[in-house]
Amino acid sequence: MRLVLKRLAAVPVVLLVLSTMVFAAIRLLPGSPATGLAAGGASGQATAADITADTEKINAALGLDKSLLSQYGSFLNDIVHLDLGSSFYGGNDITGLLGDTLPATIELTVAAMLIAVLIGMFTGVLAALRRGTWIDTATRTIGTVSFSLPWFALGVLGIVVFGVWLRWLPVIGRLPNALDYHPLTNFVLLDAILQDRPELIWPWLEHLILPATTLALSMAGFITRIVRASVLEVLGDDFVRTARMKGLSPSAILRRHVLRNSSLPIVTVLGLQFGSLLGGSVITETVFSYPGVGNLLVNGILQRDYPIVQGAALAIALLFTLVNVFVDLLYLALDPRLRKA
Amino acid sequence: MTETLLEIRGLTVEFDVPAGRLPAVAGVDLSLRRGEILALVGESGSGKSALSMSLVGLNRGPHAHIGGEVLFGGHDLVAAGEKELRSVRGKDIAVVFQDALAALNPTQRVGDQVAEMIRTHRKIPKKQARERAAGLLGEVGIGNPAQAARAYPHQLSGGMRQRVMIAIGLANDPAVLIADEPTTALDVTIQSQVLRLLKRLQADHGTAIVLITHDLGVVAEVADRVAVMYAGRIVESGTRDEVLFHPQHPYTMGLLNSVPRVDGPAVARLPAIAGSPLTGVARPPGCAFAPRCAFAHAACGDAIPPLMQRYGGSAHLDRCVLDRSRDALEVTA
Repeated sequence: MRLVLKRLAAVPVVLLVLSTMVFAAIRLLPGSPATGLAAGGASGQATAADITADTEKINAALGLDKSLLSQYGSFLNDIVHLDLGSSFYGGNDITGLLGDTLPATIELTVAAMLIAVLIGMFTGVLAALRRGTWIDTATRTIGTVSFSLPWFALGVLGIVVFGVWLRWLPVIGRLPNALDYHPLTNFVLLDAILQDRPELIWPWLEHLILPATTLALSMAGFITRIVRASVLEVLGDDFVRTARMKGLSPSAILRRHVLRNSSLPIVTVLGLQFGSLLGGSVITETVFSYPGVGNLLVNGILQRDYPIVQGAALAIALLFTLVNVFVDLLYLALDPRLRKA
Repeated sequence: MTETLLEIRGLTVEFDVPAGRLPAVAGVDLSLRRGEILALVGESGSGKSALSMSLVGLNRGPHAHIGGEVLFGGHDLVAAGEKELRSVRGKDIAVVFQDALAALNPTQRVGDQVAEMIRTHRKIPKKQARERAAGLLGEVGIGNPAQAARAYPHQLSGGMRQRVMIAIGLANDPAVLIADEPTTALDVTIQSQVLRLLKRLQADHGTAIVLITHDLGVVAEVADRVAVMYAGRIVESGTRDEVLFHPQHPYTMGLLNSVPRVDGPAVARLPAIAGSPLTGVARPPGCAFAPRCAFAHAACGDAIPPLMQRYGGSAHLDRCVLDRSRDALEVTA
């Protein structure tokens, strides 16, 4: 319990450090939001002088003419008051934007995680039980290959094969545009239950499966390797011999004794891998035009929309931190030795 | 007391190792009678654990080659399939392992681990199995068994964990209990408590116990019969008193001489057997102990002496070809 409280106490510190870094990094990028806005808004006959004049006006309007320090100060002040600001483009409220996009990203990453764990556990256990056979070799080879494939390549491949050639799956977005969907929580599955609209589920799954699998495959390859090593280690433990001595069947030994004890290193890896999964979701969401935080972040960066970049990065960091607190809790549930009285 | 329960005939256990095939057990004939405590004595690597694990096929695997026969209740357990063996394991023949902390599942409550043993062989409701498990924990001398049943192994002391291990072993009232160095990981006072517990359970339940140990003190305390193993073979066997008081094989004598005795002369250094036990793949054609034996002569290297009665009672067997009329063979300490 103390461990978890400690972790939770660290969350604000992590977020402060991270937001500071993002604040600085985005301002170090060449180009500024004001020039972009001024150039974009100018008509064909605008001279360089017009654009410069506009730029100054816009800078003043956005508060970007103030010193970095005072910008940083008001940025922190806003965050403390849970105000993430509004977009330079269109003035949308960032909190509202995150409310729309964060559930989409959570759906995507959680689905990817589930797929990765299912595939990784199955193949990892299989490889461990069939150690040294061709099944083991094949599983590990496929695992390594999928682990090494970049997300964008997998995503594009998936789009071409399942979307363009086979026409089995939609390749863009999160739900069909024609669908009449009035988000309540913005989690489609939850809304489908709350609003009693089961017809939402299939289109949602259809859109989710390709990006989630794309994201999952590389992680699955990694999990396969960890699971295999971990299961092999536990299989050599004395208490497995005790289980055999009891006359248990191999499948009962696996279920009751091996899996739980080999899940600890796997859970650790899952927490850490969730970070790279979030990184991967930025790319995957872009490839699939999936309306998540990653997509929001990329557009924010391209447009130098500082508040969006800051808000999206904070949201991703918060998600990662919370997942790892959850992993710590899972640890305590799985291994009684870690529970201190 | 005389009914034979388990009969081992020509048992061999060989393991594939990088250097070739390691003969861990090189032909053992041994019988276990109902309700007796048979001590299997020897140094590390003498084959006593390999022997006992192969009784229930616990060392089966792609790199193990087990030959010979283990006859139990009319079945040959060496030839038996895994499924048949599973019905014997834990029900008719159970094992108490030495390092209970490692041998118990760290993520399962000990009561559940005992109950699992029961439910594997008897289809009774979980609740009933749990109650029976707590009863067993009480029987092996754990105070407040209901509370202990809910504990995880790491929350118990070493002695308690070993008692849990014994409770698991006894859960289905097996005919044979193999106790593999059950006291090695414990300190001396706990050791003797656990031994007395085994002795009492053997008396109460009529369980035959194969007690694997390298500790002759343990043998003296509880064993009915003793078999001494060296390099995969039994070099001497007989009743406890025959083997401990009239040892015939120089290896047994060496073991006895290396035990400190309260009533013996004070010595600066206990005598040890020179050299080290055979652990490699290659074995000499003659007596395996000859290279370390103080009494060895040329004939010892010719052939492996058979295990037979050479001195004393008809059940006292040994593998030494030396002339017994010589005083030199008497124990010196």
